[in-house]
Amino acid sequence: MLGVMGLGEWIGMKSSSWLWRILGWTTLICLLVMLTGFGWALKDTWFPKDGLALPEVSPPEAATGGDWNAKEELFVTSLGDSLTKGTGDSTGEGGYVARVIEDLAKQMDKPVYMVNNLAINGLRADQLTNRLDENGFKNAIAKADIILMTIGGNDLFQIAQSGGSMAEGGDISPELLLERLPEAEPRLKDVFQKIRKLNPTARIIYVGLFNPFYDLPEMTSSGSKIVAEWNDYAYSLAKADGNATVVPTYDLFEFNLKAYLSSDHFHPNAQGYARISDRIVQALL
Amino acid sequence: MANLLALIQNETLKVWKKRRFAVLLLILLILIPVFVYAQMKIAQNSAEKFNDDWRAELQSRITDNTNALSSERIPEEWKKWRRALVQQLQYYLDHDINPQTPNAVTFTLTFMDNAVTLFIPLMVLAIASDLVSSERSTGTIKMLLTRPVRRWRILFAKLATLTLYVSLIIITTVLICYLISGLVFGYSGWDAPVFVGFQVQGADVDTTGVHAVTQGVYLLMQSGLVWFSAMVVSVIALMVSVLVRSTAASFVTMMATIIAGTILSNMASSWKSAKYLFNVNLEISSYLRGTPPPVEGMTLGFSLAVLGLWGAAALIVSFTVFTKQDILN
Repeated sequence: MLGVMGLGEWIGMKSSSWLWRILGWTTLICLLVMLTGFGWALKDTWFPKDGLALPEVSPPEAATGGDWNAKEELFVTSLGDSLTKGTGDSTGEGGYVARVIEDLAKQMDKPVYMVNNLAINGLRADQLTNRLDENGFKNAIAKADIILMTIGGNDLFQIAQSGGSMAEGGDISPELLLERLPEAEPRLKDVFQKIRKLNPTARIIYVGLFNPFYDLPEMTSSGSKIVAEWNDYAYSLAKADGNATVVPTYDLFEFNLKAYLSSDHFHPNAQGYARISDRIVQALL
Repeated sequence: MANLLALIQNETLKVWKKRRFAVLLLILLILIPVFVYAQMKIAQNSAEKFNDDWRAELQSRITDNTNALSSERIPEEWKKWRRALVQQLQYYLDHDINPQTPNAVTFTLTFMDNAVTLFIPLMVLAIASDLVSSERSTGTIKMLLTRPVRRWRILFAKLATLTLYVSLIIITTVLICYLISGLVFGYSGWDAPVFVGFQVQGADVDTTGVHAVTQGVYLLMQSGLVWFSAMVVSVIALMVSVLVRSTAASFVTMMATIIAGTILSNMASSWKSAKYLFNVNLEISSYLRGTPPPVEGMTLGFSLAVLGLWGAAALIVSFTVFTKQDILN
């Protein structure tokens, strides 16, 4: 045999068959695994069985309450509409929320963490009330020591123009709004009560509304009147709550609309947010 | 039978000795660490940002996507996709399940999901594209076809070899992915739950059929589906390799088709009949997770049927041409 084939050839054959044995079996096993997976996927899609038993939902981490000075770290959750989202802040720093956290950490000399910014553009108070049933909202609120919130602007705006979002502008009727303000107020009450239920110890900061239409003659006094009434109502809710406060912002914008509002003429710009943030930090410490 | 097995052995060893698989292995060993490193950076960033609270991170993804929905500048199709995503993430949050547990299995799952449209096809093409055409360009096809073996047997042996190598490539990718990412993320995660069975209908997600499986089972199912789409790609590549003389031409043709498919998938929502193209249907593993398909109404069954028909047609063409064609010069 050797004589006919030559030694090198014979060794080549030997190692080839050895390689083939390994390669053949390995790839065959791979193929079988793939076929199993493919079949399993079809079966699971078309004839699903009961799934895996899931672990119990663990209760959300709750805030401990107590004196802030004694704590090693503070947790902040923010929620509400586009003002909390930071819309209009072209620096991308995230509106007033990020600034508040940064300032608080600096002034209190301890880490202040943002649990979550749950703000959603265009959110109304009634929608927020529904959202407060979601786990994500519950968890984030339960964990917080401080809750920052803006809500209600969209409610008022939509009542005034019966539809449309607040950034769209358009015709609004202050008379209609003033008349229907009592419709919107209970929504804010629901929000306050629900948050308090989720977290008995957190300080709630409600950032008051301002009148972005102060420079329109027909809206100067009527618009500001509505805003004042709304803020007043919010203040009464905060008082009733006991651990909540309303941070006023209407005065920051009245005579300086151009300087502190962004180009959409509705949301504050970076400087506007910085001023709101200063107010909040002053109210907190 | 023994004859056929010998042919398969011959083909398998030929591919092996061309070191195609070694090159693929090398590519994997270089590329995957890059992805692992990138993923590690992402994980570190978000851990810092969310203070290691996955619930907060998940909720933040939900609010981000919800906010994107309210923008009027986003096309309607993207909104649908996001709405479905939001509902799924909400389902995870409601059941207190972390969809992105940081471990090697999760990394591998994500990698395979992303690899199915381009990376895996690229790798199988490296072998499939020159299976026949290389015999032509080197002239060995004459030697092959002058043997006393029926032509269909030769092509069948090549097909069998291709099937074996496709399986090997996918398993190797999974293994390397798991082994390398495990160094960073830890080797656990096989029994972590993941939800399957979301039914996407328009913008709504039907959760009645949703059930949990372990990530291990999910990985097996996903690999099986990835394997199927890789097989269809390689069978079509085999056909091109029979039809086209040069390996380069057959590889470029296939690669262009695959890339066109990924681009079309993004635009197919407007051109509905694109759903009958094979390259728009390659992402069948995403049906498991319930990602909205490129064209509304596409289901796993539909995509499998389309892929199956294309594959079958490619086989018929390959065998007909290969057994009949004249070999000149």
